Amino acid sequence: MPVYKLHYFKSPRRGRAELSRLILSQAGVEFEDIRFAHCEWPAIKPITPFGHVPILEVDGQVLAQSNTIARYLAKRHGLAGKDDWEQALADMYAENIHDLLNAVAVPFTEKNPVKQKEMYQKFMRDVIVPHVAAVEKQLKKNNTGFLVGNELTWADLAYYAYFSDFLEVKFGSAFLKNAPHLKALIDRVKELPNVKKWTEFRDSTYPEDNE
Amino acid sequence: MPVYKLRYFNNPRRGRAELSRLILHQAGVEFEDIRFPHSEWPAIKPTTPFGQVPVLEVDGQVLAQSNTIARYLARKYGLAGKNDWEQALADMYADNIHDLLNAAAVPFMEKDPVKQKEMYEKFMAETIANHVVLIEKQLNKNNTGYLVGNDLTWADLAYYAYFSDFMEVKFGSAFLKDAPRLKALIDRVKALPNIKKWTDYRNSKYPEEN
Repeated sequence: MPVYKLHYFKSPRRGRAELSRLILSQAGVEFEDIRFAHCEWPAIKPITPFGHVPILEVDGQVLAQSNTIARYLAKRHGLAGKDDWEQALADMYAENIHDLLNAVAVPFTEKNPVKQKEMYQKFMRDVIVPHVAAVEKQLKKNNTGFLVGNELTWADLAYYAYFSDFLEVKFGSAFLKNAPHLKALIDRVKELPNVKKWTEFRDSTYPEDNE
Repeated sequence: MPVYKLRYFNNPRRGRAELSRLILHQAGVEFEDIRFPHSEWPAIKPTTPFGQVPVLEVDGQVLAQSNTIARYLARKYGLAGKNDWEQALADMYADNIHDLLNAAAVPFMEKDPVKQKEMYEKFMAETIANHVVLIEKQLNKNNTGYLVGNDLTWADLAYYAYFSDFMEVKFGSAFLKDAPRLKALIDRVKALPNIKKWTDYRNSKYPEEN
């Protein structure tokens, strides 16, 4: 087994490293989950390939870019999809989530609380609601309970991380009321034994992530 | 050979479909290069999986997300990297370009020309200058003339598309003056016979993109 070291900030809200942590936890693979304080970033930044995190060290060699890291781990540990086409579908869903993370960063970083509330409302209405409808349609079409093929892939973990672990916790489940397939999917992922074990561990070990 | 149909807007500046076009042309694979005017978008949008283009139809099945499409084609046609690690490195570079496209979109869409000029200058001086230094370092380290391993991958095509086809055309080559390896890479890609054939063809057929 290679030695994996995943490096990311201590906060906020788990961020772009969580998908890789979920993949590794679901696959039952050990890794060093390194979280550093923001004050350490100026010293760490120059040793990253492109000045950002997360980065993954694999036996000392370094990979950057959150989805690249997640995809590599998913492929190595059986969560990427069964053939080229399924792997492409999983990639597509993961890139949707990447776009949604970028989109939510805008209200997330707004300092004025009144403006922020307005931005979040617009975001939920204009970005989340249409996307939920589009994914619900794809889930119905695939008709297996999973996003890709008939098995769990990293795409399902990515949707769980964003829609349950982030949005549902922050905004409640109202936005899922017309999306029973998506709701069922994220509930199914939440209850997977290895995922449940991980989330219970991390919620008690890293309470600052829940701020 | 599967039937490929790539759909995208007919402008601006080639955008997020060009990388897939470069991959297909470099690999010598036929495809239908569908470009539609913005006026047709309201009718097309609901037929896409997530309300976005480019989309790729492969024997009637649909894939969305520009880098997903590019990666799928690169893998099918030997431009993805030789093993899992090389493929991951190529993915990493393609993700960098995706971020840089997103970053350039901000000044690109600014309507006030004075403000836009200022935004572009800041973008070049900060985002681009920093990235070029880091990429030059990686090229130095890999020391093969390519970004990944010792062969052309879609990562090289992605860097060519952004740094030459977009940046160099728009801003000239000054930003590459301290990056001889990046300059050499994009010049090497530019001169590949299949790439040259494609860019000569497209520059005359789709002048609106320039």
